[in-house]
Amino acid sequence: VINPAPDQQVVHLVDDDESFRKAASRLLSAAGYEVRSYRSAGDFALASHDVNRRGCLLLDVRMPGPSGLDLQESLAKEDGSLPIIFLTAHADVPSSVRAMKGGAVDFLTKPVKRDVLLNAVRTALARASQLQTTHAHRVELRERVERLTVREREVFQLVVAGRLNKQIAAELGMAERTVKAHRAQVMHKMEATSVAELVHLADELHSEQA
Amino acid sequence: VAKAFEATSVTWPDTADARAEGRSLLAQWRPVLCPVLTCIAYYLGSQIGFALTFRPHPVSVLWPANSILLAALLLTPIRGWGAVLLGAFPAHCLVQLQTHIPIGMMLCYFVSNSCEAVIGAGCIRHFLAGPVRFDSLRSTSIFCLYGGLLAPFLSSFLDAGFVQLNHWGAGTYWELWRIRFSSNVLSALTFAPAVLTWFASPLLNGRSWRRKEFFEAILLFFGLAATTYATFYKVGPSPNPTLFLAPLPFLLWAALRLGPRGTTNAILTVTFLAIWSAAHGHGPFTADTPEQNARSLQMFLIVMAIPFLFLAAGIEERAAAEERFTNAFRASPDPISITRVRDAIVLDVNERWLAMFRYDRAEVIGRSLFDLKFYSSPEDRARLIGLTAGDGALRDFESSVRDKNGTSLCVELSGVRADVGGEPCLIITTRDITDRKRAEEADLNLVHAARLAALGQLSASIAHEINQPLGAILSNADAAEMLLESDSPPLDELRKIVADIRSDDIRASETIGHIRMLTRKRTTQLNPVNLHDLIMDVVRLVAPDARQRRVSLEMALTAPQCTVLGDRVQLQQAVMNLILNGMESMAETAATGRDLVVRTVEKSPEQIEIAVSDLGRGIPPDKISRLFESFFTTKENGVGLGLAVVRSIVDAHHGSISAENNPGGGATFRLVLPLVTTESSSP
Repeated sequence: VINPAPDQQVVHLVDDDESFRKAASRLLSAAGYEVRSYRSAGDFALASHDVNRRGCLLLDVRMPGPSGLDLQESLAKEDGSLPIIFLTAHADVPSSVRAMKGGAVDFLTKPVKRDVLLNAVRTALARASQLQTTHAHRVELRERVERLTVREREVFQLVVAGRLNKQIAAELGMAERTVKAHRAQVMHKMEATSVAELVHLADELHSEQA
Repeated sequence: VAKAFEATSVTWPDTADARAEGRSLLAQWRPVLCPVLTCIAYYLGSQIGFALTFRPHPVSVLWPANSILLAALLLTPIRGWGAVLLGAFPAHCLVQLQTHIPIGMMLCYFVSNSCEAVIGAGCIRHFLAGPVRFDSLRSTSIFCLYGGLLAPFLSSFLDAGFVQLNHWGAGTYWELWRIRFSSNVLSALTFAPAVLTWFASPLLNGRSWRRKEFFEAILLFFGLAATTYATFYKVGPSPNPTLFLAPLPFLLWAALRLGPRGTTNAILTVTFLAIWSAAHGHGPFTADTPEQNARSLQMFLIVMAIPFLFLAAGIEERAAAEERFTNAFRASPDPISITRVRDAIVLDVNERWLAMFRYDRAEVIGRSLFDLKFYSSPEDRARLIGLTAGDGALRDFESSVRDKNGTSLCVELSGVRADVGGEPCLIITTRDITDRKRAEEADLNLVHAARLAALGQLSASIAHEINQPLGAILSNADAAEMLLESDSPPLDELRKIVADIRSDDIRASETIGHIRMLTRKRTTQLNPVNLHDLIMDVVRLVAPDARQRRVSLEMALTAPQCTVLGDRVQLQQAVMNLILNGMESMAETAATGRDLVVRTVEKSPEQIEIAVSDLGRGIPPDKISRLFESFFTTKENGVGLGLAVVRSIVDAHHGSISAENNPGGGATFRLVLPLVTTESSSP
């Protein structure tokens, strides 16, 4: 097997053409992926909703019911963590532009060469795992912030904003010693060893909220 | 006499050459003229009859009065017959009074004479439309049978009866009957035709006799008169029998050259001279008793007259047929050629032929068509000859021929095989169909162009339909390759893969087949076609397009009979254009209401209707009438060919198409095609 996957990575395949579905499943299985195939966008939405959507999505454009592009749109609204490879029998410029703007990994046409397809799948899965890591990190950060008390969050914001302890004490109307205690607590709870690291974490959080 | 009668000849349209003023004058005076002229002619005829009586025998050998009456009736419309008979009556009385016969006998004679004329004229009028012209075997037969035989036959009974009744004549009833009969037959066969032919064609209007003919006639009649005089007057009572044949060459001459008029008058001349000679005691018919002499002479003249009447008629008929052919040949708007079967030598061509092929007459007559390189493929000639071999007629044989400059022309040849001068010939009518061919070609191109346009619209669907199986095939093959590289290849799975590859391959080639059928440029080929299958095929083909446009296609194929005679591909094209048209019209319809319904219903036992209904924007009412014209479109980016193509296809299938707006929005196109009846539906 050419591309042995370390742990069975999942490829979701949505295509209305049964024989292509079968053929692509065989190929991807032979390449070591776990393939889950669906007849339509609706089937995919129903079957995989809320189940941990790992892996990537190999999606036909033209299908009865909602098209592949429709599905891409609705997935983007949910969380956008599933990389999408489009695979169509007839590529036209408007749909390929729309697909790539929507963040698709690739836009392939049938018949697709094996290397092209597998490379695209690999790229998509890599992006998936990357997304997965980022996502996990953010969840972790958010959990740390959750642990802070209201006062500690206020102190955290002002520290990150570059205020001195004295200024913070004046602003929040508390003793400088109390500020120091809160500050140590923030550093501890956020698992930061320096103010610089704390600022970095704050930036990460900020960018996520934006 | 003839001159006098000419004035009454306006009865028939054939003599309408009479000058218009003369006509109106004549028309005004005719009621008076007819009886008066009849009266004069009857009187003169009777006098001639008396002059030709064998003395002391009281019965005339030839009695022209009766045949003059017959001729007069034949030249008058039936409503004028009373007047004609009335006109003859005074003449009859005047004549008979000279012979001192009893009044009763005189009246009886008139009755029997009138009867003869009325029976003869009545029968002839009944069986013959138009005037008696002695220019066809039919009219001559009818005249001889009814006027020459039947009428004298019947009236002679009456006549003989009257004579017996009045104790007037001597001799038995049958003797009287025979004398009357033969005299009347002779005069009917000699005198009446001569009179009638003078009226049949308008001599006195000066058109029909050319100078040469005139001199020929004069020469002939002098020769005839001289010969007859020599034979029947100068010769003694028992001559060499061959002498009787002496006038025959002149009679033949008349029949061959001068037509019915010359012949009848020649016969009359011989008759008159022969009887006149015998009556004056000269010639061969003076050997026996007067009765015997009269009988022999009458028999001789009757037997002579009939064949020549028919001979002249037959020759005239042939000549008329030939003239008709010649006229048709010359005047035909189509080029005609007459060529020998044996060696394709051109015997004759008409002006149109020369004009069409740019030859001068001298360049083609007597030359072979092969030498002229007339046929683009010389084997066409052999095929022509083969096709005309059976019943001798050929219609619309398409061929390519060349004119003098070598320019090719598409022609349709129709013709017959006929003997000309004892040589089998082809008489070929040529029709130039080069323009028609070009137009057909253009039509074909139009259909083809429109088909390509439709193909353009469909190209997305087609690419989709083909790439789908190709994609599956490639991925299957890749998968198989990867599986084969493993340590223990899963053979079952590989077999399945190979089977799938095969079926996808077939699927792809079927799709290509469909497209090829659409794009191939073909002429109409009529085969029995199952319309329901055809519609389903089309629907399968447009289904991807419909999906993309979010149109739901509904079928209601309910017609009990659905076999039509047609070109499968063209009919598919027509149905497809209607469906694509309907789908396009719904582009602005809300996605939930994009329903397209294809229905078939039995329009009549012989017709099926295919209705394609959409819920689109409909047709602007003022545009409906122009909808099926080429390059007419209501669409912003349409070329206006689709419906014109449908129309031309439907026309080629003897069907009809109509369009209307639905009451609830959208439009319906109805296509009516003739069904194949059950007997002929099996291919």
